[in-house]
Amino acid sequence: MHELSICQSMISIVESTMKEHPGATLRRIFLDVGQGSTIEPTLLREAFAIITAGGPLEGVELAIRDIPITGRCRACGETFEYHEVALGCPACGSLDIVIDTGMELDIRELEIDD
Amino acid sequence: MAKVDVRKKVLSANDRVAAENRRVFDDAGVFVLNIISSPGSGKTTLLETTLDRIAGKLVPVVIEGDVSTQRDLDRIVARGGRGVQINTGGGCHLSAKMVAGELRDLPLEGADVVFIENVGNLICPSTYDLGEDVRMVLLSTTEGDDKPMKYPTIFHESSLAVLNKIDLLQHLTYDVEKVEKEIRVLNPECAILRVSALRGDGMDDWIDWLAERVREKKGGSR
Repeated sequence: MHELSICQSMISIVESTMKEHPGATLRRIFLDVGQGSTIEPTLLREAFAIITAGGPLEGVELAIRDIPITGRCRACGETFEYHEVALGCPACGSLDIVIDTGMELDIRELEIDD
Repeated sequence: MAKVDVRKKVLSANDRVAAENRRVFDDAGVFVLNIISSPGSGKTTLLETTLDRIAGKLVPVVIEGDVSTQRDLDRIVARGGRGVQINTGGGCHLSAKMVAGELRDLPLEGADVVFIENVGNLICPSTYDLGEDVRMVLLSTTEGDDKPMKYPTIFHESSLAVLNKIDLLQHLTYDVEKVEKEIRVLNPECAILRVSALRGDGMDDWIDWLAERVREKKGGSR
């Protein structure tokens, strides 16, 4: 439950980016949130609404791209989604697995009205 | 309507402060461990026993993170340890900035190792870099053997997993091999140790691991 502190970090990045676009209105924040990032999109939206209420960012939409956790077997090269990996690589059983995606917590871009 | 490219990690400000902390620790030549676990898995007990065992060999400094009270720091001081207590006042994790705020008061000179005991929580602390050398997850047998896959991030982000309360295995339905297998799947590079901080099982391996990391850090420092 650290969505509020994540929102604060997000807002400070957004505010400093918006300073480079004086007079523009922010409409939407595009985010990549990995399923392994420990951030729950629903809670993030709720926290964002609470923290921005009554301020200049009120009503800004969070467009969240949900990134599944995907892994890759270093033994046989198979790629797969995380829920399949509990017993090792689904193809060869190896435990030598790297996680490729799903840990993201990034601001991709902003949509503004000039 | 226009799009503005940002492409920034949300936690980039935390990561920047963590890098500054890391520079301070590196300059002091101290090895820094960020210890993460759920409440009650034995972080403070492990530190107490560790302080006893390294006394006269390694000089430790402890940063205690808790929502409230100074109870953990009191336990450390009672064992002859030195350090600071950070109270987050409701916050569920330490941040690099909180640690940075304590650096000036931290007796780093002559120290070999800094233990940062994070707030008891298996989720929120896992993505906050504090400037540590090693992130360590502590898991106790009484928590159940299904935890690695339920909390994958902390196992993916840690380079050491310590399984505590191993002396209780005979009383529990806890499949320690399954736990270790799940940790390996999530992070093949993660070292795993079995200990009982209270009874002493596996503590020699843990102290050896620690002494080796301190030696490496001293060798690599300016």
